[in-house]
Amino acid sequence: MVKISVLQHAPSTHLPLRPGDPTPTSRNLDPLLHPFARARERTRALNAAKLEKLFAKPFVSALEGHVDAVEVVVRRPASVGVVASGSWCGDIIVHDLAQRSQLHRLPNAHKGKVSGLCWADEDRILSCGVDRNVKLWNVGSSSMEDGSDAASEGPRPLSVFPGKTAFNSIDHHRTDPLFATASNIVQIWDETKSAPITNLSFPTSTETITNVAFNLSESSILASIGSDRTFTLYDIRTGKAERRVIMQMSHNSLTWSPTYPTVLLLASEDHNLYTFDIRSLSSPTQIYKGHVAAVMTCSWCPTGRSFVSGSWDRTIRLWEEGKGRGGEVYHAKRMQRVLATTYTADARFVVSGSDDGNVRVWKAKAGEKLGVVTARERAAIEYRDALKERWRHDKEVGKVSRSRHLPKPVYKAAELKRTMLESRRVKEERRRAHTRAGASLPKAEKKKAVVAEQT
Amino acid sequence: MDSLISRADAIQPLHKKRKTSHKPSNSRPKSKPNDSSSKTSQTDPTLSSIASHTLLPKSLRTSSPPPPSTKTYNHIPNKKLRSELTKTSANALRAKALVKDAQELLLVDEPGKMEVEGEMERTWRVGQEEIVQSVGGEAAKGRKELKLDGGSYRTRYTRNGRHLAIVGKKGHVATFDWQTGNLHTELHLQETCRDITFLHSHSHFAVAQSKYVFIYDKDGVELHKLKDHIEPTRLEFLPYHWLLASVGNAGYLKYLDTSTGQLLTQYRTALGPCTTMTQNPHNAVIHLGHTNGTVTLWTPNLPHPAVKLLAHLGPVTSISVDPSGGGRYMATAGADGMVKVWDCRNWKGAVRGWSVRGGSSGGTGIEVEWSQRGYLGVVSGGSVNVYPPAAIHTPHSNPTLPPLYLTHPIPHRPLTSARFAPFQDILTIGHAGGVSSILVPGAGEANFDSGEADPFEGRKARREREVRGLLDKIQPDMISLNPDFVGSLAPPSKLTTATDATLASQSKSKAGEVPYARLPRLERLRVSGKADETELHDSDEEEGEEESEKGKGMSKAEKEKKKMRGKNKSLKRYLRKQRKNVIDPRAVAVRKKLEHQKVERQKAKEIASGVREVEKPSALDRFKRAEK
Repeated sequence: MVKISVLQHAPSTHLPLRPGDPTPTSRNLDPLLHPFARARERTRALNAAKLEKLFAKPFVSALEGHVDAVEVVVRRPASVGVVASGSWCGDIIVHDLAQRSQLHRLPNAHKGKVSGLCWADEDRILSCGVDRNVKLWNVGSSSMEDGSDAASEGPRPLSVFPGKTAFNSIDHHRTDPLFATASNIVQIWDETKSAPITNLSFPTSTETITNVAFNLSESSILASIGSDRTFTLYDIRTGKAERRVIMQMSHNSLTWSPTYPTVLLLASEDHNLYTFDIRSLSSPTQIYKGHVAAVMTCSWCPTGRSFVSGSWDRTIRLWEEGKGRGGEVYHAKRMQRVLATTYTADARFVVSGSDDGNVRVWKAKAGEKLGVVTARERAAIEYRDALKERWRHDKEVGKVSRSRHLPKPVYKAAELKRTMLESRRVKEERRRAHTRAGASLPKAEKKKAVVAEQT
Repeated sequence: MDSLISRADAIQPLHKKRKTSHKPSNSRPKSKPNDSSSKTSQTDPTLSSIASHTLLPKSLRTSSPPPPSTKTYNHIPNKKLRSELTKTSANALRAKALVKDAQELLLVDEPGKMEVEGEMERTWRVGQEEIVQSVGGEAAKGRKELKLDGGSYRTRYTRNGRHLAIVGKKGHVATFDWQTGNLHTELHLQETCRDITFLHSHSHFAVAQSKYVFIYDKDGVELHKLKDHIEPTRLEFLPYHWLLASVGNAGYLKYLDTSTGQLLTQYRTALGPCTTMTQNPHNAVIHLGHTNGTVTLWTPNLPHPAVKLLAHLGPVTSISVDPSGGGRYMATAGADGMVKVWDCRNWKGAVRGWSVRGGSSGGTGIEVEWSQRGYLGVVSGGSVNVYPPAAIHTPHSNPTLPPLYLTHPIPHRPLTSARFAPFQDILTIGHAGGVSSILVPGAGEANFDSGEADPFEGRKARREREVRGLLDKIQPDMISLNPDFVGSLAPPSKLTTATDATLASQSKSKAGEVPYARLPRLERLRVSGKADETELHDSDEEEGEEESEKGKGMSKAEKEKKKMRGKNKSLKRYLRKQRKNVIDPRAVAVRKKLEHQKVERQKAKEIASGVREVEKPSALDRFKRAEK
């Protein structure tokens, strides 16, 4: 007796029951039925990397309104998409990014440029300018009636704090009604008093303070950068400067990390950015190299994992904290020197202000799709991201996802800079090879950055 | 300064004490609640206050506890890498278990079979009539006889086994849906046609005609005349690379990219006219059989065959690659009447071979064809023989016949082609009288995958698959004998980088070749004068003497183990374990002490041998400077 059975696929299980039904699918996970699985996955990863580059459109919009360079852009606390910007012509504008509209406009807020701007709370703005005044403005919803009353003269400030010298920067205390200004010294003001309550300066300093920032967590700590290549830490409880660090080049901007309270970010004139842990100021924790001109501004992402920098070389770069290279580079044909940057509170967008008088909105992830994303699309995006992550060490995939298009002047400048640094290095090493052994020792880049630490 | 940041690090690190050596990771945090009572003093108040209100994001939570046999990487000191590797291995095991579970649910269809009960019964005694009778119904429709008069026929199935294309020597071409019997097209080309193949789906097919290769669509409309492929004899389509390979009477192997229409490459085999070609479906290598008995394996990125093998004494008539073993076995048949099975990983002789009756007599030679589940069909003379998989793969030195599974005589000589239908138990034989198909129980894979090849796919699914296939098209230069080379580590480079200490010291004249920043850490420390070099020299000197005598062939670990141990073992071990790049006052003291002891020992030895005399204590000793 022979038992015989022959393979038979029942059409009822493999065909749709009614017309219009989806065709049932069947799966067999045997690798023999899936030849070239790895090669095909790599192709998919390569395509994903290419598609991401292909569809990367980071520029969202340009908000007009200023007639001169935008000096400062600040985000309103506790709101996602409201930023205030101050320009060299003395205007202050509050933008709504979602509507792309101007919520408030303070023409001629200052004579000359608005050098510093910060939010006192959700409704009030503090601004300082080279006209030696600090002004407090009401830009809340209730201020609309005031504006219509005094339409002829324009809006009036709630209060004016006169100073003796031109101000360079201003920052408000996280909780208390205090703010700090930077001129030739750091001054602490009370919102209710018209004269500064404290003057802070490092004992031997004769420099101009260009930027000042309160720590967000330890809110009585204050940091400033000065024209004498220094940055200084103050404590307003003790009322004195605690520590000063002198570096190779002066800095243009300073911000505290929003999540790591001891981490400080500096944008330097020497084309680099530096993060410091203030517990050890002898060397920076990381140097961020990439710009080919002075970095004018830097700003942390609200997550504290990345930050954005704007530079004199007309580009904006996005950095991962702790990664000295790589990251996105944004540039636009008509964008000039970038003087101000900030993140929105949801960390999805970057706002930049530049010399051409426009406030520009960029995506924080260049390849991200805006608008409603369906579940299938989301799944596809996640799959592509996983593929890129998995195959990032592949030569071609890595090359595609690493390469960035740069404007020709920036590219050429980077090339020139590389050549110069390389020849400098070679010269130094040759010199070392021909001096007595041990007479001149090489020094790590991080150790070179700090010249002196003073108390 | 610390007061400045007092509140800043309120969240203390969980393990405050410095870890000297890492613990094995099997003590998972989940098992901790038991001993947490004893460690209540250590818990962090900030952490516990927020822990009840926070949840780990769903994506970060493990879906199940790690499998018990997870490989631990305790030897790796880098915490991040260690946890990453452990996570990867746990995920791999988890995926494996999931696949195993899924297979039970997914594989619903049972493969066909033919089994005998008594010892004296044989499966090959069962004829087709009996099989047809016993299976009955729909399955019995697989047994068909098509009487056609277009010469000797060759056949080809689509990858999902649904459609069949046949071509007769005299120019009769037809494609049809094999299951429903719907005829797509029928052409009478009025010239010699030697082979036919479907392209990516049944909507296009290529025919090797007397002078050129032509591509037709489903309705029989001639789309392309491929003038580069002259006098073609055999065609193969590589579905994942979208390549149409052809070989002709001139002996040129030509690759055409069907997605772009470009002729990719052509290689001169220099072995004369070639009438035998097949592809390995697992690595897309083309196997050619030649008239002088050699078999050559070709990839489009090599101008010469990757493998050249003398397989037969006389022309090779047919080649087939076993799909069931991942392309491991190849069967060849020659005009010398032999069928041989080869192991593609080891070309030292055939695994087994046997001679077939009536091989060379029938005009054309023997045809071999392997089914999806590894059944080998051999068509020779006037009959079809099918051999079961296990028997063919076992090495056998004698040229004896393997046990027969099934046999079927066909009266229409010559028999020119044999094709197993994918996902069905059907073997189709083309011969001078038409096409006949027989049932071979167990030949076809029972469970298909809709993502790859689905016999029941509709129009939409086919379109979707075509677009996906085009997007996932693999570049032709990725074809190699080992398809798994993609994504594996590159072999170590033969170029050396001069970061080695010896190399660096040798090439001191050429300073600045390796930038300081790119040197390894120890090198950097050495160059900047921070490495403790005295220690290194000491150990070198000590070992140098011993090495010269014995220990030449010993490894470093062995040397360390067999090193002579004297007194003060603990001190020496302490020194050895010290990190070499740190100047530690204690290490310096220990080293000094050891040196002092060595001098003392030397002195004592000299005194004992009489070279030196014992120093007598004198009254002036009190003014001597005390030696430490």
